[in-house]
Amino acid sequence: MPKRIVDWLDLRLGIRDILEQNLTKYLLPRNINIWYTLGAVLLTLFALQFATGILLLIYYQPSPQEAFSSVQRIMNEIPYGWLLRNLHAVGSNLIVAVLLLHMLSALFMGSYKRPRELTWVSGFLLLNLSLGLCLTGYLLPWSQLSFWATTIATDAAGAIPLLGADLVGFLRGGTAVGEDTLGRFFALHVMGFPLLFGLLVAFHLFCVRRTGVSKPPFGPDYTPPKEHDRFHHEHHPGGIPFFPHYMAKEAGVISFFLALLVAITFFAPGLFIPPTANIPADPFVTPPGIKPEWYFLWAYQVLKIFPSELMGLAVQVVAMTLLALLPFIDRSPERRPARRPLFVALFICGIAIFVGLSIWGYFS
Amino acid sequence: MGSRRLFLTTALGAIGAVLAFAAGWPVWRYLSPMEEPGEEERIALDREDVPLGVAHFFRFRGQPAVVLQSSPGVYYAFSAICTHLGCIVQWLPEQREFLCPCHAGRFSPDGRVLSGPPPRPLDSLPVTVVDNRLLIG
Ligand code: HEM
Ligand code: FES
Repeated sequence: MPKRIVDWLDLRLGIRDILEQNLTKYLLPRNINIWYTLGAVLLTLFALQFATGILLLIYYQPSPQEAFSSVQRIMNEIPYGWLLRNLHAVGSNLIVAVLLLHMLSALFMGSYKRPRELTWVSGFLLLNLSLGLCLTGYLLPWSQLSFWATTIATDAAGAIPLLGADLVGFLRGGTAVGEDTLGRFFALHVMGFPLLFGLLVAFHLFCVRRTGVSKPPFGPDYTPPKEHDRFHHEHHPGGIPFFPHYMAKEAGVISFFLALLVAITFFAPGLFIPPTANIPADPFVTPPGIKPEWYFLWAYQVLKIFPSELMGLAVQVVAMTLLALLPFIDRSPERRPARRPLFVALFICGIAIFVGLSIWGYFS
Repeated sequence: MGSRRLFLTTALGAIGAVLAFAAGWPVWRYLSPMEEPGEEERIALDREDVPLGVAHFFRFRGQPAVVLQSSPGVYYAFSAICTHLGCIVQWLPEQREFLCPCHAGRFSPDGRVLSGPPPRPLDSLPVTVVDNRLLIG
């Protein structure tokens, strides 16, 4: 039966050719490693976010009067509402973790270098867009945690000279976080950002497919590819086929992350949902100990350690800009970590600073 | 570039700019914060609402504010927003001071910083007593 369907489609659209080109005859480097599966993990996790998100939308009410109680209703009354909500919340955290790993692997293997600059830049934008999705989604339950985390996050923009106050007002749609903030965050979270996100993912994948997968820069027979002065797709003759070989490996890693997602959802759903998330928002009472989510702790701590907020903000902007433009700054073709001691040292320092600041932010 | 091409490009560019503005301006206005109840807004409270040693929280020009009777007949009003990173201060009646729950900034009843990271006193608001009412703003 499947064969007859494929035959039928093949006759009309010539799909056999496309399938072959992209699956069985699409060859990957023989020494490809497990880090290359993280992109597929991200695609799966994002598909799950879309699915759970659409289901949550059915009962969620985006107004200050009803948001909190509608989420309580999803959690406590609607059958399996707790499951969908926790999957969506835990999933967002897992995605950020995998995004960071995916980025670190591209850094370590130097795969951001020519000709993959656009892959890197689009990936970096995707990371920022994902953080934007997390930030806007965080406000929607309209809990004390949502309200105050958003107040603190939007307040940071106020440190920008001249424009600061107007910018904060524009982000919030008013002087304080309120009904109009919820409205714009909701629109961005469920429509604006996902649409942009879809387009950017398509572009990112186009870049990956068009340039060809990079050869991992390890092993004795790694030779740096020649520099080309016209477009060149990186082929891997004698490599392993994407289907079934590499897809099987991807399926394994995806299963691992799905198991992790389900395990946290079932056994530690409170890991990312502190007690202040269970109290409705009250603009007159700041609860003690409001902390941003773990992946924003570094930024939060940077704002606190500098004598002025403006300096802290400037440091963040500089760090993110350097990362975004890295392929245009670090232009040597060398990708082997053993031959890039300075880069590897910076790489390790960068991770250590990120982790150190986050822990400091958590306990301060 | 031929003059006909130049003309057409300029005309197209101008039309494009006009259209972009026609589309962009309403969107910009739509997204901008609406006028809050005016910079001019004043609020009247009953004196009974603010007994001695009690802090009364209220909304003023869209933001949380607080008024306090620190000694008989002496009233102070402040924006309740901590001058550090914008949390809302709480009144501790026992200690007779304001505490910010975020990074433990402490303020005296007249708004001065007692300890902690806040860089400046609480922003004070003018209070006038008129008969049985407090006028703020
Ligand atoms: C939003 C989510 C993202 C998705 C769904 C995604 C998806 C993918 C996929 C499917 C691949 C091909 C397989 C692989 O090498 O893993 C890939 C490759 C790549 N991604 Fe992403 N990605 C995302 C975010 C990012 C981010 C944040 C960065 C870095 C800032 C990035 C940089 C790269 C680079 C440089 C490659 C090429 C790897 C190579 O060919 O060696 N991506 N991505
Ligand atoms: S926000 Fe009040 S002490 Fe930091």
